[in-house]
Amino acid sequence: MPRPIIYVLLVLVAVSLVPMGLLYRANHLPKNQPRLQVVPDMDQQFYYKAQTENPFFADGVTMRKPPAGTVARGMLAADDAYFRGIARDTIFVAEIPATVTRPMLDRGRERFNIYCAPCHGQSGNGNGMVHARAQALGEGTWTPPTDLTSQTVVDRPAGHIYNTIANGIRTMPSYGAQLSPEDRWAVTAYVRALQLSRNATPADLPVETRAALGQ
Amino acid sequence: MAPDNNAHDQGQSPGTGPDHHDRFVFPKWTNRLREAVAVAALGGVVYLVVLVAGVFSPQNSAIGYAPEQPVPYSHSLHVGELGMDCRYCHVTVETSARANVPPTATCMNCHKTVRTTSDKLAAVRKSAETGEPIHWTRVHDLPDFVYFNHAGHVQSGVGCVSCHGRVDRMEVVEQVAPLTMGWCLECHRNPDPNLRPREFVTAMDWVPEGDPAELGARLRAERKISPSVDCATCHR
Repeated sequence: MPRPIIYVLLVLVAVSLVPMGLLYRANHLPKNQPRLQVVPDMDQQFYYKAQTENPFFADGVTMRKPPAGTVARGMLAADDAYFRGIARDTIFVAEIPATVTRPMLDRGRERFNIYCAPCHGQSGNGNGMVHARAQALGEGTWTPPTDLTSQTVVDRPAGHIYNTIANGIRTMPSYGAQLSPEDRWAVTAYVRALQLSRNATPADLPVETRAALGQ
Repeated sequence: MAPDNNAHDQGQSPGTGPDHHDRFVFPKWTNRLREAVAVAALGGVVYLVVLVAGVFSPQNSAIGYAPEQPVPYSHSLHVGELGMDCRYCHVTVETSARANVPPTATCMNCHKTVRTTSDKLAAVRKSAETGEPIHWTRVHDLPDFVYFNHAGHVQSGVGCVSCHGRVDRMEVVEQVAPLTMGWCLECHRNPDPNLRPREFVTAMDWVPEGDPAELGARLRAERKISPSVDCATCHR
């Protein structure tokens, strides 16, 4: 075979390796780099999405808040007892202003375990994992979470517990953004259930259960 | 002149005459040119297939992306070690199409009093002071012509782990699923292996007792789940 042809073939083979090399590199990009986008058409469209920046507004935020002092239709939240846990003036309602049902308690348990248990612990006695870690780290600024099954909290009116969830208390921040009024009452009901269970005596058990335990 | 030429044409064998350069004769190596071209063409096809498959493979386009974030937040510490639920921060995942990235206030729930001088949290404290949001880098990003709803999937009992992997073991969040159309359709055609009881949706380490497909089939029947595979399901 004439030499020029051999050279041309060799060059062709060498050139054909270049895309393969690029592909290999794209396959082995550093993890923190965006992946290769082969056909990028319309993947990223020019509209503003939730939680993104927006140069149109002074605060640079795409998601807008309702104007101050406005209330969406049907969202007035006028009932002080239900939405603020207040009976009159600054007196908290003693009891939960809703019918406590089994589904409500189940919901309360689920929400309690998500939002409260990290600090207060699943049994409510203040031994959550975050508390354990803060202690292990020797955090001087950490305040131990309240034991929700203590007599102090048992004696508190339901509205007080609701208000604590909604607005926070001392070093505990507000969980109003995470828990709707309905959920706050469900958690309040579950806290009451925890208090009942943690402070129960054998005498509180049904007769059959007591018999099964040999009491 | 003419007789000379005639004598020359008839009397000489090709390539041996004094002016054999006037006529083209294929050299011997060209005898196998046809086979060589066939092999080259086959090789070219294989080459193109490998290249196109490689370029368009989901492994190439999505999996493994783990961008550096402005705050080195560790899911492996907060979820894996401390056992916090996904929903502690991603509050909207059950009710909204989008699983929100938490506001700085959520970090400050604990970090107001825990690790208050840590350098890693400097950006969080600054954000809390100034109200300027932290500029997180998005990891999982579907094309904008795809509609996806977190709430619908979570309410149907598709676990977080099915798409996001073991986030509780991730120091830096990494995309583990290809998030391609084929991958979506795979589950929409047969969701059973990815269905679980609602209460375990966020559990990272939950595995069903027995056959996952069997449990999935039961849950699917119970909840009347029938994922659509129409174009308009996602492209609306």
